[in-house]
Parts: sequence; C-alpha cells; structure tokens
Amino acid sequence: MPRFNFWTVVMILTWLLLFVLLFIPVGSVLVSSLYDQSGNLTFANYLKFLGEPRFHRAFINTLVVGFGGLFGALLLGSIMAFCVSRFVIRGGKFVSLLAILALVSPPFIGAYSWIVLFGAGGVVRGFLRDLGINMPPIYGVGGILIVFSLKFYPYVYLMVSGALSNVNRSLEEAAEGLGLTPWQRTFKISFPMVFPALTAGGLLALIHAIADFGTPRLLGRGYNVLATEAFTLYSAEVGSNMSMATTISVILILVSMVFVMLQRYMSRRNVYHGNMINKPNRIQLKGWRNVLAHVAVYLIGLCGAMPVIISVIYSFRKTNGPVFQNGFALQSYERILFNLGDVIRNSVSFSVAAVVLIVIVGTVVGVLVARRTNFNTALLDGAFMVPYVMPGIVIGIAFIAAFNTGPIVLTGTATIIILSIFIRRLPYTVRTTASSLRQISPSMEEAAISLGYSPFQAFLRITVPLIVPGIIAGGMLSFVTAINELSSSLVLYVGSTMTMPVRIYLLILDGDFGTAAALSTVLLLLSGCAVYIAFRFMGRNEQALL
Amino acid sequence: MGYLEVRNATKQFGASFLALNGVSVAVERGEFFTLLGPSGCGKTTLLRSIAGFNDLTSGEITLDGSNLRIVPPHQRDIGMVFQDYAVFPHLSVFDNVAFGLKPRKVPAAEIKTRVTQALDAVRLGAMADRLPAAMSGGQQQRIGLARAMVINPRLLLMDEPLSNLDAKLRIELREEIRDIQKQVNIATIYVTHDQEEALAISDRICVMNAGRIEQVGTPQEIYGNPQTRFVAEFVGTLNVFQPGAARDGMLNQLGLAAPDDASWAVRPERLDLVAQGSAPAGAAVLEGRVSKFTYLGREAHVQVETPAGLIVVQLANPGMAATRAVGEVVCVLVPRDAPMAFGADGARIGG
Repeated sequence: MPRFNFWTVVMILTWLLLFVLLFIPVGSVLVSSLYDQSGNLTFANYLKFLGEPRFHRAFINTLVVGFGGLFGALLLGSIMAFCVSRFVIRGGKFVSLLAILALVSPPFIGAYSWIVLFGAGGVVRGFLRDLGINMPPIYGVGGILIVFSLKFYPYVYLMVSGALSNVNRSLEEAAEGLGLTPWQRTFKISFPMVFPALTAGGLLALIHAIADFGTPRLLGRGYNVLATEAFTLYSAEVGSNMSMATTISVILILVSMVFVMLQRYMSRRNVYHGNMINKPNRIQLKGWRNVLAHVAVYLIGLCGAMPVIISVIYSFRKTNGPVFQNGFALQSYERILFNLGDVIRNSVSFSVAAVVLIVIVGTVVGVLVARRTNFNTALLDGAFMVPYVMPGIVIGIAFIAAFNTGPIVLTGTATIIILSIFIRRLPYTVRTTASSLRQISPSMEEAAISLGYSPFQAFLRITVPLIVPGIIAGGMLSFVTAINELSSSLVLYVGSTMTMPVRIYLLILDGDFGTAAALSTVLLLLSGCAVYIAFRFMGRNEQALL
Repeated sequence: MGYLEVRNATKQFGASFLALNGVSVAVERGEFFTLLGPSGCGKTTLLRSIAGFNDLTSGEITLDGSNLRIVPPHQRDIGMVFQDYAVFPHLSVFDNVAFGLKPRKVPAAEIKTRVTQALDAVRLGAMADRLPAAMSGGQQQRIGLARAMVINPRLLLMDEPLSNLDAKLRIELREEIRDIQKQVNIATIYVTHDQEEALAISDRICVMNAGRIEQVGTPQEIYGNPQTRFVAEFVGTLNVFQPGAARDGMLNQLGLAAPDDASWAVRPERLDLVAQGSAPAGAAVLEGRVSKFTYLGREAHVQVETPAGLIVVQLANPGMAATRAVGEVVCVLVPRDAPMAFGADGARIGG
C-alpha cells in the first residue's frame, strides 16, 4: 500500500499531464483518422492511403529522404568525427563551432540559402554559367538530400566524436600487438565501440529528416513527403481534409516508432563502459594526408554553416522592397524593428514560458523517475518516449484535433503553442535530470543525514545545488529548441500568435529574403546567447545539444 | 551490558536473501570495533542498520541503553565515514566540516574554532578554503573524517574508508585514524575486508561470514587462536594436511588426536626447514621436495611437496643460504603446538 505523500501527488499530476497533453491529442488523432467527414466510423481513410498513388509516392518519398538524409549525415558526420578526434586538426574548436551553427540554424533558412546559391537564378549557378559550366538547379530530391545531409550531420558528428574520444587506447594497442592492420583495427575494434553512438546519431538524423517539413516544401517542387502532405491536407483553404491529415499523422508516428525500435534493437548488445584511463592520442598527419583531412573537415563544416553565413550576409544587404541592391544597409533590420517587434516578443515570451514550465515540471518528474524506482515510474519513463517520436507537424495537428472543440478549447491561443513546445521538450529534461541524479552518489545525501539533516533538507542542500547548473544549462538548450520550433507552430498559430520561425517561413514564401535573413540572424543571436549561457554552466559540452 | 548493543539482528532482502542472520554484538565505550569479512557477508548491512539507512527485519539496537531503531537517522547523532568519501563538491573544505554543526545551532565563533581544530587534527589546516574537487583521495577522506568527528557524535561508523586508496597511503591513514580515535576516545565501528588492516587498527574484531558471526575477539585471539576454520583461513594463510597415513603418522608422533572426520591445518610461519633426519623432541618431521621458492624480501615462502600434501613454509629473514632449488629434498619441521584441528562443521577442536 503506497503512502499518500508528496511524491504520490506528483505521480498523479504527472499522469494527468501526460493524459491531457499527450494521450488525448494522440487519441484524438487516432479517432479522427477513423471517421469520415460525415462522422461515420470507417477505415476508408486508411484504404484511401493504401489506394491512392499520391500517398504511395509520399510514403516512398518520405523513406527516400529519411534514409538519404541518414546516409548523408552518417557519411559526413563520421568523416568529420574521425578526423577531428583522431588527427591533429588546426582550429578543431572552430570546426565544432561550425557544427553547432548548423545545428542551431533556424529552420527553412537552410533550404532557402541553398536556393540563393544554386537555385534557378542562383548566384553560384549564374557564376558557373558565365564560365560555361551548366549545372542543374538544386530543386527536387537531390537538393533535399544535400540539405538534409548538411543539416543533420552534426547529430552524427557530435555523438560519434564523443564516443571515439572515449575508446580506451589500450584496446587498439592490444589489437596492434596481436598483429591487426590499422584498417582491421578500425573496423574490428573502434567501429563496434562507437556503433551505439553511430546508430543513435543516425536515428536522430533519420527522425528529423522524416519530420522535416520546410526543406521538402521549399526545395521539393512537387516532391511531396508525408509531412508536407499532412500540412497540405490540413491547411488547404478549400476542401481541408482533417481526417486524412490525421491518418497521415498516425502513419508518420508509426514510421518513426519503427525506427526507434530498430535502433534500440540494433544497439542492444553494444553498450561498453570504457574506463577513461587511457584516452586516445591525436595523430599529426603529414603531407597530402594532412591536407586531405583538413580540406574534408573544413569543407563539411563550412558547407553545413553556409546557410547561416549567407543569411547573416544577406541580412545586411541593401534592398528595394524585396529586391536586393548593391551595397550594404540596415534596412532589413529597420523593417523588423518597425513592423515585426510583436513577432519577436511572441517568440521570446512563448519560449520563456515554455522553458519555465519545462524546467519546473521536468525537474520534479526527473527526480520522481530517478529516485522512486518502481513499476509506475518505469511506465512513466516509457510514456515520455512518445513525444520524442512525434514530428512537430503531428503534434500541431493532434493539438488542433483535441482542443478545437470539447471541454477544453485552446485553438488560437498562445497557451496551445506554449503547451505544444512544452510537451515535446519535456522528455529531454526529465531524462537529463534523472540521469544527472543517478550520477550523484547516494552516500552524499546519507552523509548529510548522518550529520543531522532531515532527508528533505539533505536533498535541498546537497543534491539540488549539484544538479542546478545542469538544469539551467538544459533549460537554455530547451530555449533554443523552443524558439526555433516551426512545424507545430505553423499549424497552431493565428495572426496574433505568430512566431519568428513562422514569419520567416511566410517571408520566404513572399520572396522577401532580406527581411527573412535579418529575422533569422536575430533568431540565431538569441539561440547563440542561450547556447553560450548553457556552456558557461556546464562546460563546453556539445553532446548536450542533441 | 555494552554501550552499543545489537541483539538478534536479522535483515532480509527480497524473498530469498538473508543478509543478516541473527547477529548479536556489543561495543564498549571508546572501543575500536571492526567488522571483518568477505564482500556479501553482511558487515555493511549491519553498519547501515546502526546508521539508520536501512532498517532491520527483526532484532534490537540500543545505544547507551535506549532503543535506536525508533530514532530517524538524522537524529541518531552518529558520525559516518564513507567508502567513496561523499565529500560535498560544491562546498569548501571548511564548509564541508562545518556542515554538521549548523543544524546543531552551534554559534559561529565556536564553529570556527571547532572546525579549525578538526582540520588541524587531520592535517588539512592549510587547505580550509579550497574546494575538494581537485584534492587527492587521501585528502578527501581526511575531510570526511574531520566532518564526522567534529560533531562529537555518540558513535563513529566507518564503511571501508581506505579501500579506494593506494597501499602506502592506506597504512599511513589507518595509523592516523587509530591515533585520532584514541585521542577523542569515541566508540568506533569499522568495516573492512582487509585482514591486515583489521589486525592493525582494532581493539576487537568481529569476523562475519554469510550473515553470521564466526568469532569476536582481540586481534591476537583472532589470528593466534581462531575458533573456526573460516576465521583461520580468512585471517592469515593456512596449510591443510591431506588426510592419509602420512598425516596420521605425524599426528601419532606428536601425540595429537581428533575424531576421524576432523581436518588438520597449520600456519606457514609456525613451520621450519631442518637438516635431514633430525627431529627434536616434541616435534615431527615431514620429508618432501621443494616445488616452488618465492623470495619476498623480509620473508621467503618454500612450497614443499610432502606425503601429507603441499605445505608452504615461511622463513623469516631469509639470507642467501636460505635459497632452495626446485627438486631439492628438504624436511619440514612441525612443532607439537602448531597444528590446529577443525571438526566437520568448521568449529575448532581443542585449542
């Protein structure tokens, strides 16, 4: 018989929260997909999905961009991770910074910058044409894959470089002593050791690629994926088809879940806890190998950060309406200042509100999960995986499906946007809090208790100060995610609750790249500040960004 | 009646694992009492039950005559030193040691003098303002010791405090712990699996095995007069004679007898090597061949293959002449008072 105490209340409230913000919306999506427009229970939507070539194509396309993005990210990410962690690369920290830039760059702007360079009227393409080289524009599946590879490689890079620098050098030396060649050593020793990190990074790239809505929207030119189909069906002015949009959402969730399970299955045996006594040395390469390694690393890093660099440059270009002129000016920023102040205010206030909620609820629930281990908390831990596999667009549609009518009506409010960000980011905070609590030796609190502090006081005076820096850092990183969140806000916003990413998306659709670039630069600046504060609190730890 | 008394302590984990199986001990005021045993023997469980971090399934614990089990751990006034030091990384050395004085409402000026004294006692006086993170394991454990002592607890508990330190520091710090404990004259319960440490530091040792007490006694009693075969083997090393005609002949010669199912054993340092054939009165001789010679500086171990099994002889201060070649024929001298007999249940016979 469990005692009815503080933690019981927390447990009940947590389940209530999950119920309202997760199970009801997901349930609504499921229910809605099972009814037709006139309200009859039917599998027609799923049959339609199976029957119509348009949806087949979107499904196949989703898998193509998913796996294409995965392999591109794996290739670029592992090359960079291997070079940076095993060879002496000048400016290694700068390279990591480039990867972080690519990671926190505002959505959409990536795709658009590539259009600016390689689109129909692209700068680089025009330049090459003048030289007599004719290259096809970047639109279509090829363009999407290039952008995905460059956008998602940091996931693989950060995961794998962390794992590679923790492989005990003695293991490789032992293999060397047994007569294995360098190639054999790499594939038989190092590769299995970093395999879990590789699959984890790959999974992040895959899930983000499947969920990404902006890149195929801008670059696809008719190459539709499930995320864009769902949005089109939901947002069509005429003949909006909510039940078909929810059907596609369910399929998107299923696809993501299959891959999460697959990754767990693949890396189930490969968990190594290396002791850190003998860290690997970086080798100083000589001659052409050295040049090659540097070129590879910097090429990947600069290409990944290219969108950011382009948008910062373009934000300072002189414009006449949406048309760029020669020279530089601050006109784009003036337009933001005079016309778009409320968008920035919205973004900042929604993100701050979401982060405050995330930090408070996430910490309390994280303590619950870490300290009260029983059946219920294990179940809770599992339930928190659900938002992780839900693409933003699906969360948005689910929230509309759940809170448009019925007892709680939230559509069109700021609350619904804040809550959608909150539920998506909450799992990360719960997990990081729980894992940092598990790292604190229980004897620390016991020492305080033996010195005369009650268990609650001991927790407050010893454990809390030890986890607070991590919590603040985690909050800052949640802020980065929150302020860059596009796809769910795009479904949930109304005129008065428009956020910066939504505005950037609309500006790009309107062809006003100057203002979009300036707004992106502001967004980047805000994200940069948050990352800086986070690193101040927990040391430079790129892996925490994942 | 002892200062701290544990009576019939039983602790059950899960359905099947009995960590403590009816343990009773009594510790006197100012006594240094050590719980010694292999891992999993229940010594840490007993210590944590006294501290209050886990409760007994059944049994009694009294301190100075009053029931301890009903007192919550933070009101027991018992100092504890941990294996992993448990030094608070976000507090300075001074604040770590002062931490336990604050809930006791000690005035600030007194805190300062008491903490300074405690830090001087553990030779950390010069490091009061440092953060412990960058300090060595030995220094961190000194902080842990000062922190537990400064509150003048009614009892001091130490859970393998030296097991994470290197060998030389371990010896140095155990001497310091012993000296400080004698100075402040506080009843201390010390948990370790290191028999040499237990012998060096304790007033009395309680040897535990599988949730039960094997023997309680002074270091001399435990080592010199072990009451069970487990104690004899765990504390020190033991040669066990193989049953057979050779053993029985030797026992006959010495005039020793025990039931048929008893086993006979002897400590290596009680044996000696003698010239062939000469057996002084009241001793027996086993002839055999040297199968291994190990030189250890202040002693040497000679392993001899005898008709009564492999016997190790420990020679003190081995000079050049003591060196034995493998295959050499030697005689092992067994004095009459050296062999110990243990019954089939492991209990000592005679002795």
